[in-house]
Amino acid sequence: MREITIGQYIPGNSVIHRLDPRTKILITFAFMVLLFVIDDFAGYAFPLIFIAAASLLSGISIKYMLRGLRPLLIIILLTFVLNLFMIKGRVIYEVGPLSITYEGLYQGTFMVLRLVLLIVGTSLLTLTTSPISLTDGIESLLKPFSKVGVPAHELAMMMTIALRFIPTLMEETDKIMKAQMARGADFSSGNIVKRAQSLVPLLVPLFISAFRRADDLAMAMESRCYRGGENRTRMKTLKMTREDLFAFVATGIFAAGCLASRFLW
Amino acid sequence: MKRNSLSTLIEGALMVGIATALSFVKIFQAPYGGSVTLGSMVPILLYSLRNGAAKGILAGASYGLLQLIIEPYIVHPVQVILDYPLAFGLLGLSGLFNKKVWTGITVGILGRFFSHFLSGVIFFGSYAPEGMNAAVYSALYNGAYLLPELVLSLLAVRFVFYRFIKMDEERNYLS
Repeated sequence: MREITIGQYIPGNSVIHRLDPRTKILITFAFMVLLFVIDDFAGYAFPLIFIAAASLLSGISIKYMLRGLRPLLIIILLTFVLNLFMIKGRVIYEVGPLSITYEGLYQGTFMVLRLVLLIVGTSLLTLTTSPISLTDGIESLLKPFSKVGVPAHELAMMMTIALRFIPTLMEETDKIMKAQMARGADFSSGNIVKRAQSLVPLLVPLFISAFRRADDLAMAMESRCYRGGENRTRMKTLKMTREDLFAFVATGIFAAGCLASRFLW
Repeated sequence: MKRNSLSTLIEGALMVGIATALSFVKIFQAPYGGSVTLGSMVPILLYSLRNGAAKGILAGASYGLLQLIIEPYIVHPVQVILDYPLAFGLLGLSGLFNKKVWTGITVGILGRFFSHFLSGVIFFGSYAPEGMNAAVYSALYNGAYLLPELVLSLLAVRFVFYRFIKMDEERNYLS
């Protein structure tokens, strides 16, 4: 069977790859919030060093990390242009009714830099962590909230099963689409009502086979005594190691730098 | 025969899988990141209609989290929550209306739109210069690629739903 890769994970065995997924999720979130604390260009030195260090340690080239920018290029450009033209101040250049100001240029560059650092920094998480271990991390981080009714285990179980079956279901979708196209189905033309109608011969067989699979799977799980999340043990337990501790310390230093750049300088 | 909750849960998981598989089939790729897919919301909507809002929200949220893991577009810490688990979780609201298909789907889809809209307001609010009408820009930006997809899903769910009920009856009869 052809291997279908989902997600952006690049397998590896670096320190960053080995970190506990919970560590990486928490650090990524802290990184995102801290970026918004920084309020001048000098402050960006900290996230730049942080990303550069993480990238060196992970062995993932900057090229891969920059690839994440491509789909958001328009948003980045829009942010720059909006700031460039809409902020009033000392005029540098005029084009018809629009004027580029010094302040606009400064603000635009500042915002674009923040956006780029944010996208590149967060992409490291998905580049170095497989979807399955991210799911495990999410489950474990949500567990404390299950006391207030967040069904952490069910959520993660659904995600894990979905992940396992995505390649199978994609293949099936593809097969059904081809089979129906051979019978004259047309998925990509006509007005919106036609297109919605054309989905019926795709969706109905897909759903029927999913129902069958769900029943079989549920029966298989029950005959192996699956009873939900309580007291369930795992084949691979998440464990924090000394490396995780180092990662948190490094993030602490980074956080201190960001906060200092805002409030002390 | 009433089906037990585990098999309903697994069915939800497979619906999430189908939704993800369909989300890879893009029939129209907008130049600015958004895209119209082959009705990737349909499985979640149908699942919520059949199994109620609570299960629907659960399935929607796990679909959203999965999208976040697979194809993340991250521009703001709050936007992550609004655009992924919350937006897709709100699709599950369609289960509130006990098989009133039109009302259900419309509410679910509006829920998703509202969440994206809010995230857009926050995005423009924190990146665009002051004095810009963030709400208008967000509505335009999200509407541009969401609307066609919303209408498509609305119609597709409508077309499929009755065959679905018939299928359910047949299956219950068989089992």
